[in-house]
Amino acid sequence: MVDVTPRKGNRKLTPALLWIAVGVVVALILLFSSFFVVDQKEEAVVLNFGKFARMVGPGLHFKIPFGVEKNYNVPTQRVLKEEFGFRTIEAGINSTFSNQDFSAESIMLTGDLNIIDVEWIIQYQITDARAWLFNVDNREKTIRDISQSVINMLVGDRTIFDVIGAERANIEVQGQQLMNDLYKSYGLGIRVTTVKLQNIVPPKGAVQDAFEDVNKAIQDRSRMINEGKESYNQSIPRASGEADQTIQEAQGYATERVNQARGDVSRFLAVMGEYHQSPDVVRTRLYYEMYDTVFGSADGTDLVDKNLKNFLPLKSMGGAAASPRPSVAPASTAPASTAPASTAPASTAPAAQGAAQ
Amino acid sequence: MKRTVITLVIIGAALLVVSLLGPYYVLTEGEQAVVVQFGRIVRIETNAGLKYKVPFIETVVRYSKRVQSWDGDAQRIPTSENQFIWVDTTARWKIIDAKKFYESVGSMGQAQGRLDDVIDSEVRKIISKNPLREAVRDSNVISEIKRTNSLLSVAGSAESSQGLSNITTLAQISYESISTGRRALSLQMREEAEVIMPQYGIELIDVLVRQIKYSDDLTQSVYDRMIKERNQIAQAFRSDGEGEKAKWLGQTTRELKQIQSDAERKAKEIKAKADAEALGIRNKAYNQDPEFADYWMALEEYKTILPKFNKTLTTDSDFYKYLYNKRGR
Repeated sequence: MVDVTPRKGNRKLTPALLWIAVGVVVALILLFSSFFVVDQKEEAVVLNFGKFARMVGPGLHFKIPFGVEKNYNVPTQRVLKEEFGFRTIEAGINSTFSNQDFSAESIMLTGDLNIIDVEWIIQYQITDARAWLFNVDNREKTIRDISQSVINMLVGDRTIFDVIGAERANIEVQGQQLMNDLYKSYGLGIRVTTVKLQNIVPPKGAVQDAFEDVNKAIQDRSRMINEGKESYNQSIPRASGEADQTIQEAQGYATERVNQARGDVSRFLAVMGEYHQSPDVVRTRLYYEMYDTVFGSADGTDLVDKNLKNFLPLKSMGGAAASPRPSVAPASTAPASTAPASTAPASTAPAAQGAAQ
Repeated sequence: MKRTVITLVIIGAALLVVSLLGPYYVLTEGEQAVVVQFGRIVRIETNAGLKYKVPFIETVVRYSKRVQSWDGDAQRIPTSENQFIWVDTTARWKIIDAKKFYESVGSMGQAQGRLDDVIDSEVRKIISKNPLREAVRDSNVISEIKRTNSLLSVAGSAESSQGLSNITTLAQISYESISTGRRALSLQMREEAEVIMPQYGIELIDVLVRQIKYSDDLTQSVYDRMIKERNQIAQAFRSDGEGEKAKWLGQTTRELKQIQSDAERKAKEIKAKADAEALGIRNKAYNQDPEFADYWMALEEYKTILPKFNKTLTTDSDFYKYLYNKRGR
C-alpha cells in the first residue's frame, strides 16, 4: 500500500488495519447481498444451497449471502395471458396485432370434418410459486401445447356451426376445466382463470365468401318477401276501397231508380186522376206540353209543309250550309222548285229526320 | 504485517480451489445428479441441497427432474379410409430413473431422439388403424347437441316455409358414432410407447394430439365441398325468397280479382233489384189504365229523346192542324 499522506502516528499499515479493511469490504458485500425486495404482486421462493427453504411474501427480506440462499421472485398476483392464432403487439385502446399468419395454430378440423379457424386466449395465474419454478421445464410451451390440444379436441367434437354459434360458451367452460386438469396433473402450479374464444371464422378466401354469401342470401330472401308484401299492400287496400266505391255507386243507382219510378208513378197517378175526369182535354194538353218540351227550346228545326214534296231532296243537296237561326219554309210562298234552294238554308244537319208522327 | 497478507492470500486461494474443484456442489430443486467415479456410477442424488463429492475422482452429471415437453414434427399419415392427414402430437415425460437414463440415453437431446422414434411410430400405427372421425372426435357429443336450426331462426321462424325444409334436414344430419375417440387413441399411443420407456429410465406422462389437419390436396377438396354446401344453402334461401315473393304476388292478383269481381257482382245485384223494384212500381201504376199509360209513356219518352235529334218537321202533325185553318183540319 502506497502511503503519500504526511506521516503522523499510525502511518504504517498495521495488520489490525488490514483486517478492518477486509472486514468492512465483507460487511458491505454482506449488506448488499443479504437483503432482497419482493413486490406486492410477487411471492418469492428462497432456496438454501438449492434446497427449498421457505416462501416469503411482499416486503424486504433477509437471506444468507454468498449464494448460500437464493431468492426467486414469481409474479403470483399477475394475470398472465397466452394468445393463439394471433398476437397482440401492443395492447391499448387501439391494440395492434401482428400481421403474421398464425393460422398454423388456429386451423382445425370440426366434428363434421369441416375446416375452421379458431382464435382464442387463455388467462392464468400462478397459484403455487414453488411448483411453477421446479416442476416443469418449458413451462410456456407446455401451457401452449396443452391449450392447443384441448381446444382442438373440443372443436373436433362439434360441428362447424356449433363452434361458430351455440357451443362456444360450452367449449370455453369445458376447455378451462380440461386444461386445469392437465396442468394440475403436471404440477405446473397454475390455474387457468379464463378461456375465451375470439374470432371463429371459416378459412379465409373463397370459403369465407361462401359463408358470407349465405348471410347475404338470407337478406335477399327477406328483401324479396318484403317486395312481395309491398306489392300486396300497394294494390289490395286500394282495390278494396275501389270495390266499396263500386258498391256504393250501385246503391246510389238503385235508390235513384226506385225514387225515379216512385216519382214518375206518382206523377202518372195524379195526371191519370185528372185524365179520367176529362180525358180529351188532358190528352190534348199533355200532347202540347210534349211539343213544348221537344221544340220549345230547340234551335234550328226545319218545318216543312206537308205538301212541299220536293223540299227534302233539295235540302239534302245544300245541307252543308248551316244556318244559325230556325227557318220555316212557308207553304204559301212555295213556288216549288226554284225558291227554297237558295233562300231557305239547310238545317244544321244534312240527314234531317222527320220527328213528326 | 507480512504474515497477515499471507494469511489472506491463503484464505482466498483456498476459497478459490474449493469453489472451482471443491468437494461441494449445489443441487437445485428440480435437479437430480448422477455421481460417476471413473466411469462407474457410484450414487444418485435426487434431493436438492449441498452435496459432497470427492474432488477430481468423482464427476457429477446433472439431469432435470422436471416434466419435459416433447414435440414431434407433424406427420402425414393415412387414416384407415386412406385419407391423408397431418397429425401433430406432443408429449410430456420425465426422468424417473437417472441411472438407467445415464446408461441408456445419456443426454436430454438424445432422449428427444429416442422419443421421436418411439412416439412417431406409435402415432402412425394408431392413426392409420382408425377412421378419420375417431381421431378428430373425442365423443359422441356431436349427436347429443340440441340444435335449433340457427339458419332458420335467422330467417325468422314465423316466416319459415317449405322451401327451407331441406336446410332443416341439413342441420339435423345424424353423425356416425365413434367408438374410441381422440383421448382414447392418445391413451393407446401412450400405452404402446410406454412399454419401451422403463429401459430408458423415462416415464411417459402423456401423449396428446395437438392438431389434426387435412393434407394440402385434401384441404382444397374440403374447401370446395364447404363452398358447395354453403352455395346450396344460399341458393335455397334465395329461391325460397323468390317463391315467397311469387306467392305474395299470386295472392295479390287473386285477392284483387276476388275483390273486384265481388264488388261488380254485388253492384249488379243491387242494380237489378232496384230495376225490378222500379219496374214493379211502374207496372202497378200503369196497369190501372194501360191505354193512358201507353200514351203517357210515349209522351214522356218523346220529351226525353227528341230534343237530342236534329229535326225537320212536316206540318203534317196534329199540332199544326190550326196552322192553315183556324177551325182545324
